[in-house]
Amino acid sequence: MVDAVLLVLREVLEAALMLSLLLALSRQYQLPLTWSLWALLLGVAGSWLLADKAYEISEALEGTGQEILNAALYALVALGFIYLAILFLIKAPAFLMNASAQTDSRALLRAVLLQPVLVAIVSLSLMREGSEIWIYLSSFQQQPDALASALIGAVIGTGIGMSLGAITYYVLIFMRPRFFLPTFLIVSTLLAGGLAMQIAKALLQIGMLDSAGPVWDSSFLVAEQTWLGELLYALLGYDAQPTPIQLVFYAAAIAPILLLALWLGVQKMRLGVQNMRNKKNA
Amino acid sequence: MKKIISRLGIMVGLASAFISPLLQAEVPTFTIEIRGHLFYPSELVVPANTKIKLLVLNKDPTPEEFESYELNREKVIMGGARATIFIGPLKPGTYPFFGEFNPKTAQGIIRVEQ
Repeated sequence: MVDAVLLVLREVLEAALMLSLLLALSRQYQLPLTWSLWALLLGVAGSWLLADKAYEISEALEGTGQEILNAALYALVALGFIYLAILFLIKAPAFLMNASAQTDSRALLRAVLLQPVLVAIVSLSLMREGSEIWIYLSSFQQQPDALASALIGAVIGTGIGMSLGAITYYVLIFMRPRFFLPTFLIVSTLLAGGLAMQIAKALLQIGMLDSAGPVWDSSFLVAEQTWLGELLYALLGYDAQPTPIQLVFYAAAIAPILLLALWLGVQKMRLGVQNMRNKKNA
Repeated sequence: MKKIISRLGIMVGLASAFISPLLQAEVPTFTIEIRGHLFYPSELVVPANTKIKLLVLNKDPTPEEFESYELNREKVIMGGARATIFIGPLKPGTYPFFGEFNPKTAQGIIRVEQ
């Protein structure tokens, strides 16, 4: 049962934290929350479908189907976070201002496809992680006793994962908007980087990318199999022994967000300097 | 016409540069079997600083997940299915792996030697 708790928690944690982050984002900006129901529904249904077709998927593309599919799912979710980060870097004030004027807000939401992006991020993460839970549980089909214990473990694991998600959610919604936005942007950036690293890992596994020795080994500090390691993995895609190509993927994912933030910062500074000059002249 | 042929040549060259890692004809292959939630062999010796192809055959009717934190690999292998996992080049040392679905029994080590 303990094995089942740990396995399910590990799978559920990442999707739960993403869901909490995006729900908190919606609350902070007074956006509708209905997307989350669709995300959960699609995610659970999709995970079941992926588990049901797992054999065909892993045999596809000369035995690389599983990794290619995972890489694609990681890529879509990473792109989702990059998009959200860029959107809120540029447009965050517009979302807040329009919250009072319902009609404008709705038009803006539709224009930027915010809800489909939120649904996609959570449902695709849930699909990938959840399918492993179904496959795991299916292995007990022939042993009713073991199945009962594994199911109880799965429920407990899901419960713990959801509780951790709930704690994260409440911490985030009680933050002041001033602090929430930077937190959201930083977490989104780290998530995008971590997911990109997972893409590289999947491609390394099927030999599509060539591996070199790890750049560093921080497993003496935080080993991946420890609790902190698992949490950091779910949050940031923490890897104790990343290879150079993984870091290249990480950098490529976070670069657009960082460059835009830098550019916006420079613009703001210029504007500030100009305002000061204007004041002096006046 | 010459131009087209030379362009085609460049395209084929580029394509093969991308595809060549996929062919992997020269990569040494090692086989591990899963039977009764156990790995056979449970200790595999492989050469250091070499890219290696692991062929994991799941002879059980139940699925298993090949996982290793040290090798940085994880792959679900359905019952009766086979999985290909590329590892390395690795430094000499021991790299434990386990079956995530049966972590108590399914355990093994890859020993990398010069």
